[in-house]
Amino acid sequence: MRLHEYEALDIFEQNRIPVPRRGLAGTMHEALQIAGEIGYPVMLKAQVLVGGRGLAGGIKTASSPDELKEIADTLLTSEIKGLPVRKILVCEKVEIAKELYVGITVDSYSGKPVIVVSTEGGVLIEQTAKTSPEKIAAIHIDPSFGYYPYQARSLLRMLGLKQQLVTAWSDVIGQLFNIALRYEALIAEINPLVVLPNGGLLAIDAVLEVDDSALSRIRLPLPDRVDRIENPLERRGMEIGVTYVDLDGDIGLISSGAGLGMASMDIIGEKMKPANFLETGGGITADQLYRCMELIMMKPDLKAIFINVYGGINPIHEGAKGVVRYIKEHNVKIPIVAKALGNRQEETWEIFRSAGVHVVTEAATEKAVERLYELVGK
Amino acid sequence: MSILIDDSTRVIVQGITGRIGSAQTQWMLAYGTKVVGGVTPGKGGATVEGVPVFDSVAEVVKETGANASVFFVPAASVLDAFLETIDAGIKLIVVVPEHIPVKDVLKMRSYAIEKGVFALGPTTPGILAPGKGKMGIMPASLFAPGRVGIISRSGTLSYEFAGILSENNVGQSTVVGMGADPVVLRNLADILELFEEDEGTDAVIVVGEVGGEQEEKAAGFISRRMSKPVAAYIAGRYSPQGKRMGHAGAIVRGSSGTVAGKHEALSSAGVEVLESPIHVARWAKKYKLR
Repeated sequence: MRLHEYEALDIFEQNRIPVPRRGLAGTMHEALQIAGEIGYPVMLKAQVLVGGRGLAGGIKTASSPDELKEIADTLLTSEIKGLPVRKILVCEKVEIAKELYVGITVDSYSGKPVIVVSTEGGVLIEQTAKTSPEKIAAIHIDPSFGYYPYQARSLLRMLGLKQQLVTAWSDVIGQLFNIALRYEALIAEINPLVVLPNGGLLAIDAVLEVDDSALSRIRLPLPDRVDRIENPLERRGMEIGVTYVDLDGDIGLISSGAGLGMASMDIIGEKMKPANFLETGGGITADQLYRCMELIMMKPDLKAIFINVYGGINPIHEGAKGVVRYIKEHNVKIPIVAKALGNRQEETWEIFRSAGVHVVTEAATEKAVERLYELVGK
Repeated sequence: MSILIDDSTRVIVQGITGRIGSAQTQWMLAYGTKVVGGVTPGKGGATVEGVPVFDSVAEVVKETGANASVFFVPAASVLDAFLETIDAGIKLIVVVPEHIPVKDVLKMRSYAIEKGVFALGPTTPGILAPGKGKMGIMPASLFAPGRVGIISRSGTLSYEFAGILSENNVGQSTVVGMGADPVVLRNLADILELFEEDEGTDAVIVVGEVGGEQEEKAAGFISRRMSKPVAAYIAGRYSPQGKRMGHAGAIVRGSSGTVAGKHEALSSAGVEVLESPIHVARWAKKYKLR
């Protein structure tokens, strides 16, 4: 779950990372009040859960109340990369001597947390990594032994920094690592970490993405991840325990397993367009597939539905009962093709056929999609 | 021949008294797997599908000579059970459950490698050696004995590839699910190495997906070390960038881990890249695999 910048900054502050004075505003008047308390100029930052916000016009400076009114009004009625701006963060604007970068993530291949630092922070950090790799340094942390402060110090010395900056910066790295550990972060990042004219450091941005699988034990005092999803269909998917991604085609898809779902999309995409991606995971029941049918049918103008499931851990015969119940209750007329193989497959086929579902019994998804294509009649 | 499991594999099921654990024990037994015991702390003395249940892994190893374990333990308890299993001396562990916190997986992986334990998962369907046995949830009807190895990141896609091969009278030596999580307990190259050394395997299929670096890193291993033909399919060509597709392993992050990048890395390592799963039949025919 990705946290908003204002949520991450609060957590950073509680963990003794220096952050700017700031306040969260939902209206122009709130923004005006906060700016009055902080003093001009201020930064106005749209709080949307998407990367590249600054380049998309979501971060502005206001030097006067009049300027703030105009910017706040514009931001609060705009969208950034398709997401509505509901809140803006009003921050003190500081003088910047230098911009640094520090990020912590999990290196999935080595199976270790990795700390990445750079003396060239800012929006072009990824470009810097390619063009000036000597300005980037990284160190892997052994998950059994954990982090020790000397690791940050030696990392920073690799960049050829003076001791004063090494001391201050390694403190921030240590705190950020503690946050990453405590909140089970997949990403904890400060970009930029600003060096002030007086030599002090300030985290003027904060990125924190926590592991969804750990949410129940981290117990964040924050809104649930369901409330962070703007798309109502995708939100409904999470509520019923499936992964749903809204797409712009007209073929509804239900699959068991993300890999099979992606392969189904690839194959459908050759000649038709999927309306959604839906992956059930290992929790199929009759009720779950009934709700999946309900969810994919919320999209208007579906031309057909493709159900692609395997009975390994999933009781597909139960799933078929849920689909059939939905078809009968709602008198579904569009063609439905089902490929369902594995444990209790024959029983599953019979249930599907009882409601007029076209059952394909070959393993290759391509065969089922061919059948789908014939039925859609393009 | 097969890799990882054979006639000498004596399996225990951890979490055997749960709904999924007991149902899958039944399927594993029906396939001829030697399931010698189960573990659920506090349920020792019970039996499930005729299999004796013990309170600890150390006890079941001592009583039954078990040498492999498959997990159907709730995600929150997996780390604890995993460390217990390693300390009890088991050298092959299959972790089926999904939604295990990454922090736990990092510890599991580090300890398993330190102790020389071969572990698969999390979020894996397990291993199946056709005609010999299976550890995990793979549905037996799709598999047939033969000489092609399959390694898959996705569970259900491993069934799909085995199913297509079986329909074309091409059997499999062993089918291995490496796990669909971003961090897995063993990397792809380690499993490829086992197939390269296995006398019962003539060729290997890698079923990958968008995201991560497993396929790119394995390409290096393949060009250096593999003498057997390798084919690969990468799912996710039309997956929207940056959107989460089910398990976290399939996140597209920036330009690394793209389908095109993986295709390129694999092709230059001499791997035959399959544009669509059904093409695996043509590839098997070309190499006269069976």
